[in-house]
Amino acid sequence: METSTASPLASVQEDYIFVRPGMTAREIVQAVRNLQGVCLTSVSMRDAGQSDFKNRHRIYDLKTLAPMYNRMGLFSAECHGGARWHVGIMNRRESPFEEIQILRQLMPNVLLQTLVRETNLWGYRPYPRNVIEYAVSQVDIDVWRCFSFLNDVRNMRAVAEVVMKRGRLFEPAISFTVADWATDAYYLSVVHEIVALAGGVDEIILCIKDMAGVGNPVRIGQLVTTIKQHYPELLVHYHRHVTDGLAVPALFAAAQAGAKIVDVQEDALVRFYGHPPILGVQAYFEEGGIHVHLNRSAAEQANQQVREWIGHYEWAESPFKGYDHGVTRHRMPGGAFPSSFEQAEKGGFLHLMPAILRVMSLYNQIVRYFDVTPGSQITWVTCSGIVNRYAKEHGEAGVRRLIALLSKFVEEKGQDMAAMSEEEREELLQLFRNASGDFKNLLVGGYGKLPVGWPADWVYQSAFGDEWQAKIQGRTDLSPLDTLKDDRLDKLRQTLSEAIGRAPTEEEFVLYLMHPKDALSFIEFRERYGMAPLVLPTDVWRHGLLRSGDKVDFELDGKPYCIELVSVGAEHEGIIHVVLKVNNVTRVYPVATPRARKAEIRMARGPNEIGAPINGNVWRIGNPQRGPIHVGDVVHKGEEVANLEAMKMENAILAPFSGRIAEVCIKLNDVVKEGQLLFVLEK
Amino acid sequence: MQRTIQKVLVANRGVPAVRIMHTCRDRKIPTTAVYSTPDRLAYHVFMADTAIHIGDAPPINSYLNGERIIEAALASGSNAIHPGWGFLAENADFAQQVIDAGLIWIGPRPEVIRMMGDKIQAKEIARRSNVPTIPGIENVTSAEQISDWMRDQDIAFPIMIKAASGGGGKGMVRVDAPEQIPVALAQARSEAKKSFGNDIVLAEKYIEHGRHIEVQVVADEYRHVVHLFERECTLQRRNQKIIEEAPSTLENDLRQEICVTAARLMRRIGYTSAGTVEFIFDPATQSFYFLEVNTRLQVEHGITELITGLDIVSIMLDVAEGKPLPIKQLDVVPNRCALEVRLNAEDPKTFGPSFGKITRLRTPLGPNVRVLLGAAEGEDIPPYYDSLFMLLMTSGADRADALRVMDRALTGDLRIEGIKTLAPLLLSIIRHPKFIAGDFSTKFIEQHLPELVSGFRERTSEDEMLRVAQYVAEISALGPQSWM
Repeated sequence: METSTASPLASVQEDYIFVRPGMTAREIVQAVRNLQGVCLTSVSMRDAGQSDFKNRHRIYDLKTLAPMYNRMGLFSAECHGGARWHVGIMNRRESPFEEIQILRQLMPNVLLQTLVRETNLWGYRPYPRNVIEYAVSQVDIDVWRCFSFLNDVRNMRAVAEVVMKRGRLFEPAISFTVADWATDAYYLSVVHEIVALAGGVDEIILCIKDMAGVGNPVRIGQLVTTIKQHYPELLVHYHRHVTDGLAVPALFAAAQAGAKIVDVQEDALVRFYGHPPILGVQAYFEEGGIHVHLNRSAAEQANQQVREWIGHYEWAESPFKGYDHGVTRHRMPGGAFPSSFEQAEKGGFLHLMPAILRVMSLYNQIVRYFDVTPGSQITWVTCSGIVNRYAKEHGEAGVRRLIALLSKFVEEKGQDMAAMSEEEREELLQLFRNASGDFKNLLVGGYGKLPVGWPADWVYQSAFGDEWQAKIQGRTDLSPLDTLKDDRLDKLRQTLSEAIGRAPTEEEFVLYLMHPKDALSFIEFRERYGMAPLVLPTDVWRHGLLRSGDKVDFELDGKPYCIELVSVGAEHEGIIHVVLKVNNVTRVYPVATPRARKAEIRMARGPNEIGAPINGNVWRIGNPQRGPIHVGDVVHKGEEVANLEAMKMENAILAPFSGRIAEVCIKLNDVVKEGQLLFVLEK
Repeated sequence: MQRTIQKVLVANRGVPAVRIMHTCRDRKIPTTAVYSTPDRLAYHVFMADTAIHIGDAPPINSYLNGERIIEAALASGSNAIHPGWGFLAENADFAQQVIDAGLIWIGPRPEVIRMMGDKIQAKEIARRSNVPTIPGIENVTSAEQISDWMRDQDIAFPIMIKAASGGGGKGMVRVDAPEQIPVALAQARSEAKKSFGNDIVLAEKYIEHGRHIEVQVVADEYRHVVHLFERECTLQRRNQKIIEEAPSTLENDLRQEICVTAARLMRRIGYTSAGTVEFIFDPATQSFYFLEVNTRLQVEHGITELITGLDIVSIMLDVAEGKPLPIKQLDVVPNRCALEVRLNAEDPKTFGPSFGKITRLRTPLGPNVRVLLGAAEGEDIPPYYDSLFMLLMTSGADRADALRVMDRALTGDLRIEGIKTLAPLLLSIIRHPKFIAGDFSTKFIEQHLPELVSGFRERTSEDEMLRVAQYVAEISALGPQSWM
């Protein structure tokens, strides 16, 4: 490390800094071990926003915390990964690479932390090994927290190898939940695998990731104690959401048992599904006799700073307010709450949420994995899909019947098919018939093996119909790292170049590898609007300038720019004229309004018409093997003819029989309604 | 015979019209503009002293409507017509009609225009005047004929077999080896038959990596012929020049030879006014071959003016008034290097036209820059005519100097909004190491296009600011968006 020759004042300020970028993993681990008391990871720049504000917190606002963070003495700042990446390019139009660059500059003392989903990285489905290795090697992050929604440690190998080879800190996480099968012995077996993967305990930190917020204090204390008994030198980092209302004592229990790092966020950011408040945690810990390493005055300033901008995000808060102790049963993770409620609101089924949460609490006993991405999306899409289907076909009575059926099957009969009536068995065998492609992929081992065994055979019958036995036979216990073939990176790069009409930057290419469709739309947006997402204050970003004379100032390359609204005209033939003064030059912008387009939606009716199984967005027509599909093409039974995206999940549309495409009724990126006609097929 | 030009009708629009009016104003000669319906608000209309509407948008109804233009000249009291370039500039019949109407034609004599307009006749005249032409053999019917010709004339591959009445690349087949001749011949003849109705083909030496060199000549009716040195116009896209420079990078003795050869040819055909002799130069053999004579003012004449200090349009006016040339050959001493880029309203990647309104236009200033604008801010670039709307020229003590100034002009002050222009491509080209080294051929752009395009991404904070403003405008009008 550089020796400090700075002024005495500067050295006082840096007193709290005990780890910093550039240190090796081993040095960081040693520094934490040597530290008196516990230290903190701030998740304000990632998970806080994801859990309560739909990941909409813009770097424009978050970066205002950076100067305080730089002297706060944090272990790390989680500012990257999870869904922040995807929402960044989709909704905030910020690149995760830009965010790193901005934060590095403003808080050079702070370890930057990401969250990756093993083979799913920052996306929602397994990527091949070469994509993982390439992407991980391109991202300048110090601490790599990596979890598996299956606790399948094998899936972490590719990430672990690249991270450790780069000398960065790998932080493998065990996904935590409360269930009869989730015993200390079970978790310990996962820890054994992790330690084996990392070749010891001196270059990693173990994370216990309670992403739903369900572990009560006693349970957590017991688990940490068990792990520390077996691995006294292993550093434990506890991550826990506040959903059940017990977070602060749970954190304390973990620390008492020997956890060295806990996750917190600014008190002013705390709502219902995020993380415990930093100042409250410090006070509670200190009172209980556990020292917390923290520059309290910097933390208080950061908390004040949050109040400056948090009001801009009220619109993004979950409509489902308050703690929810029911989380211990339905287990929806904090990070999935806002997006699920957003979907329900948009889809007009907010009133079905209690039923969906109830079905989730039963579903997760039938198919057992950890409810965190991408598992949480699979759970959500599957359960909300089933409830919606019942509501549509049989109304509220149908939903009640569904819950009664599942409760009886799971809670009364111990999932014994034989104990159900003939009629009920039939109904259960239809339960997963319309489930998403991702659910089906999960059942056949596409994501890796499930933590405590495959679901019962009837689930396969229900999902796959007549093909269920073949599907079970084809099911694999291997990790996707072993089953997925490498992608041709050069081909993909070329496809991207052609799509954007120039050679992409490395960063654009990584964005594209993660989320091809959204990366293209992001690049297009930024070509058109440049730095707007980074330089505009949040109110202007969201609403524009409202009244004549309203101004926005910003700098580019140190040059001051000012945009002032002169007038917004009335709409005339679909055009609104906006007059702006841009650095003293008056400019007129004709803005096209979305035409009131009420085209009639054609629904699929006949047997030769392929309809959309769900509401979604047509992001691909055709399939990767054959490319786009056009009128006149001959398709084969079972061939994918289009793919719909809904709730981040892909849904393949398959040809019901072999035939010729007589009509393509959709365009790329159309938003389609369930049942809407997609293709007309003729024999 | 001396005559006086009282008023000039400029039978053109945009850049050439404006250029000619500049000199007329210098000489205090009043001008008349003609315009088509969509050009009623065009720049050249208001630059002239008087203007006359001559028809609808299609050129055939307006700028190619000779009869209407002559009527306009008479009606406006103009006694001379300058055709500019393009449109009627090389139309011998029109030139004759102008003269027959008792008006002064500012250009070469109609007979000369007609003679040089016939490409085969032009080549024949060149040959008879001992001007080298591309070696070739006409009326080829057998492979033996070609092999014999190659042997007798000592011609090396590659050669090109092409339709005698050809054009547009149809019926053209390149041959690189003796055994390919029969197949290529059959193919060329069959394509010629299909495309032009006859299977008459000729064979020519194919000049690889050829460079396009042209010599500017001015002449008067007293048989004074003076060349104003040469220009290099090698950089083309789709056979249209986009960057020209003067002088070329030829060695000095070759320069003298090519210029004197051009002047000799023009003297031989009795040329008057300004014109250009075009050659293709073969760097491999250091030989040049006659291509054609352009019997008009050319787009790129401005760089010759920059290196010689002369005004070619003014010389054309002098000659048209029956005056002798104001200069002698020895007076012409180029002491500069100059560069011109053509700012077409085109997509710099696809070369597709980019029509629309020029919402903002700021032209470069500063030392050693010359700008010729054919349109003003706020004007529409209509889809009916040439997409050239601005010429940008720079000069310097040497080529590197001129290039530096051009780089500054293209990046510093130039701002064009509302339409796409070739500017990013032009900048990429003048920054390309091979272009800087003078190592390029007519195929340069197609060979390096991806590389050139990848150099487009230069962003200035002003561009960025405008993108931000665009966003602010849209959101201010439309409110929060669903994608947010």
